[in-house]
Amino acid sequence: MLQRFLDPAVLHTISGLDLIAKTVVEGFVAGLHRSPDFGFSQEFAEYRAYTPGDDLRRIDWNVYARTERLYLRRYRGETNTLLTILLDASNSMQFGSHGVNKMDYARYLAASLFYLAIHGQRDAAGLITFDDEIRDYVRPSTRQGQLHRLLAALEHAEARARTDFAKPMRYFQEFLKRRGIVLIVSDFWESPESIVHTIEPLRFHGNEVILFHVLDPEDVRPKLNGPSILVDLETDSQLEVTPDYTKHEYREKVAAHLADLRDRTQAAGLGYYLLMTDRPLDAALREYLTLREGRK
Amino acid sequence: MGLFAPWFLAALAGLALPFYLHLLKRQTTTPKPVSSLMLFESRTQASTRHSRLRYFLLLSLRLLVLLLLILAFANPFINRNTAALASNRLVLLVIDNSFSMRAGTRLDDAKNAAIGVLSGKGAARAQVAAFGSQLRLATEPMEDQSTLRSAVQAIQPGDGHGNFGELGRAVRAMADSVHTPIELHLFSDMQRGNLAATFSDMALPDNVKLVTHAVVTRSEPNWTVESVDAPGQLWGKDAKPVHVQAVIAGYGTPAAQRTVSLVVSGKTTATKSVEVPANGRATVDFPALTVPYGFSRCEITIDSADAFPADDLRRFAVERSDPQKALLIHSYNDNRSPLYIGAALSAAAQSAFVLESINVNEAADRQPSNYAFIVLSDLNALPSLLENSLTGYVRSGGSLLIAAGTSAGARSQIPIFGARIKETRDYSRIPDRYMAVGSSDASYAAVAKADGWNGVKFFYALDVDAGNARVIVRLGDQTPLLLEKRIGEGRVVLLTSGLDNLTNDFPLHPAFVPFIEQTARYLAGSERQGGARPVDAYLELRTAREQAQGVEITDPEGKRPLTLGEAASAQSFQLTEAGYYQLRLANGRQNEIGVNPDPKESNLDVIPDDVLALWQGNGGKSTQEASTPGPATTGKTPQSLWWYIMLLGVAFAVAESILASRYLGTQREES
Repeated sequence: MLQRFLDPAVLHTISGLDLIAKTVVEGFVAGLHRSPDFGFSQEFAEYRAYTPGDDLRRIDWNVYARTERLYLRRYRGETNTLLTILLDASNSMQFGSHGVNKMDYARYLAASLFYLAIHGQRDAAGLITFDDEIRDYVRPSTRQGQLHRLLAALEHAEARARTDFAKPMRYFQEFLKRRGIVLIVSDFWESPESIVHTIEPLRFHGNEVILFHVLDPEDVRPKLNGPSILVDLETDSQLEVTPDYTKHEYREKVAAHLADLRDRTQAAGLGYYLLMTDRPLDAALREYLTLREGRK
Repeated sequence: MGLFAPWFLAALAGLALPFYLHLLKRQTTTPKPVSSLMLFESRTQASTRHSRLRYFLLLSLRLLVLLLLILAFANPFINRNTAALASNRLVLLVIDNSFSMRAGTRLDDAKNAAIGVLSGKGAARAQVAAFGSQLRLATEPMEDQSTLRSAVQAIQPGDGHGNFGELGRAVRAMADSVHTPIELHLFSDMQRGNLAATFSDMALPDNVKLVTHAVVTRSEPNWTVESVDAPGQLWGKDAKPVHVQAVIAGYGTPAAQRTVSLVVSGKTTATKSVEVPANGRATVDFPALTVPYGFSRCEITIDSADAFPADDLRRFAVERSDPQKALLIHSYNDNRSPLYIGAALSAAAQSAFVLESINVNEAADRQPSNYAFIVLSDLNALPSLLENSLTGYVRSGGSLLIAAGTSAGARSQIPIFGARIKETRDYSRIPDRYMAVGSSDASYAAVAKADGWNGVKFFYALDVDAGNARVIVRLGDQTPLLLEKRIGEGRVVLLTSGLDNLTNDFPLHPAFVPFIEQTARYLAGSERQGGARPVDAYLELRTAREQAQGVEITDPEGKRPLTLGEAASAQSFQLTEAGYYQLRLANGRQNEIGVNPDPKESNLDVIPDDVLALWQGNGGKSTQEASTPGPATTGKTPQSLWWYIMLLGVAFAVAESILASRYLGTQREES
């Protein structure tokens, strides 16, 4: 039942990113098949010999059955996983053909991932918002109140200016010195070659880099009622096009662009995931968890 | 070329509207934001050129549709030579066969003149029509001379009264459907009596040219029996002989002595001489008309002394039958109302009804259906058996007269009639001590023939709730006095006062006799038997409750003019011939009617030349045209083009719709 809250159109009616994130994650988790082996918060670390006064519930009775010695299973309360989300806050992200624009969708996605990481995984999480330069930076941390800081930064992230990956990239390198997971949320309106070329260095530090490609349905299938003048949201340049063009040639070009970007990112060892703003958020969360599991 | 309504051209300013819309549409194209133009390519030049072309096509069509619509309203015309239209003209030959054309050789002269016109009509189409009281077309428009001549010869003298107003109306209707010029040749005796009440009724449209052919040029003297006043019915073997009064009129005649005869069933029963003054009238009175049982065909005739013998008689039919029975039910101690009602019926209705008076206690064993009508006079108590019996009688078509006096005032409701008694009005206590009639419905015969009950004093009346009953008479204080209500197939008349001289002085008043007579005739349904009617009058064959019954009519020639279907359903019948009609009406009654031509037809005075010239639209010129249709004049005739323009406009509108829908269809991207 809670899964219906994963629908972006429903989320749009909820005010407050913290509530949205909580709704999404709990809806998502409630829909998972709960497995006894699927742990979120604890990772096995080592065995330790039992000493009087230890909690009996932690004794590994299987080991005792084999060795007739009492050992405690110890878990690591914290991980080394570091989640950093690079959020594109350029003007093109404010495009939306229905209730939820790409910036809103990206916010919901980021908020949900932060919530999942901090509350569910106890990972350190951080945020960098950028357009043609670094606009905001929240250092990854597991400190108390980190989630609120991240959500506040997301709230303040307004779409403006234009995207330029190359310019803020050198700053990313400085901020991302610790190994972790880097998620880049953007509509990636640049040439795939340039994108991969710019982002690829992030991997060199041992980071897992995933591109969440957020697109509006009309980015892929624009609807025109007649010959129209189109305005680029980032550059304000105008172009007159016909429905015939958007119906045939443009769709082919977009499909080719997406295929090229996917191939190039995979070839470069980057993760790539295409998210349409009219689709639920759970796919993105599942992708993150899968990746997270792979890193255990 | 010109315009009938050029002021509509002002609407040409409206042509700016499509221009405005098309330009506005181009200017108000709202730029559509997109995330990035990275993958878009400009198709500006090609697409714009393409759309402009289509826009212009659409714009042109819209402008054309508007232009044609405005032009159609402006009603353009072209002047065509009348000569060019001559081959299209229709020569309409109208031969007057009204009753007056029976005089002398008028009808034959008219036919000969018509055949003369046919001979000279050339290749033009012609149509023959007879004109009595109505225009009756004898042929379709055609060129075949022999058929047209036969149609002219086949026209028989009629008995109707001609009216040129009716001719004008019929020709106007014809001119609306026939778009070619019409040359109307009227062959008539041009009676002055045929003129319409107003000249505009006779006016002819522009495309109709009237040519009159008068078969007589001056009026002729004529004597006629103008009217006969005789009863339609006599009742009983002891009925008193009745008077017959006839008026003999002379038109354009010198003073003369005429012999007038009363003919009953072909036998002359009385003859009188009368001195008819010059151009005047004289009245003849036959004091004793005696007829046997059944219907008798009677006539008043005068000796023929003019060229028009057909109008020297006037027919009427008289029926002698047994009187009908009527029942009066009164209270035990009421002996006044039987006296007054019985006296009134015997005095007025020529013993048409035999009144049987009984008190309410004796009424139980009577069969109501044996009586033509029943009167309930001021009954306090009505036995339920009798009330049910009377209700059934009324529902099945019987008639009832209820008089509600002081005894009935003790009840809360009028029995059978069903009206609630609101209160009783005792006018003897007001200062005037009585109340007079305030308003009355003059269309009701029982009231109209009783002079509206003027001077009758009412001392007591019941104020009843009229409901859906028809109120015929009200007292001065608006209390309903005489009401009628239909119950089932029958009718009930209610007098809210008594029929004695205690609650009013009506029985002592002269108006009482005609009231009782007319009410009795009305309730018995015998008010329209026998008598005489004019030609072209309509006869009501059935009432609303007699729908399923068949009627039978035999005309003066012994034929049955109604088909089986008409006999089963026709509501009325027009008496088109003079003579005696025999009828069996839907209610089963037999009737016979004497039908006479309109007396106006006997006045053979002719229309003055100046009036005829005015009618022809060429006042001052000679009214009598040559007997052949004149050669086509070389004038111009405007011919309207609006019909063709409207057709063209519709075609362009369809094309515009198709183009616009196709254009929109290709521009809208399928999702």
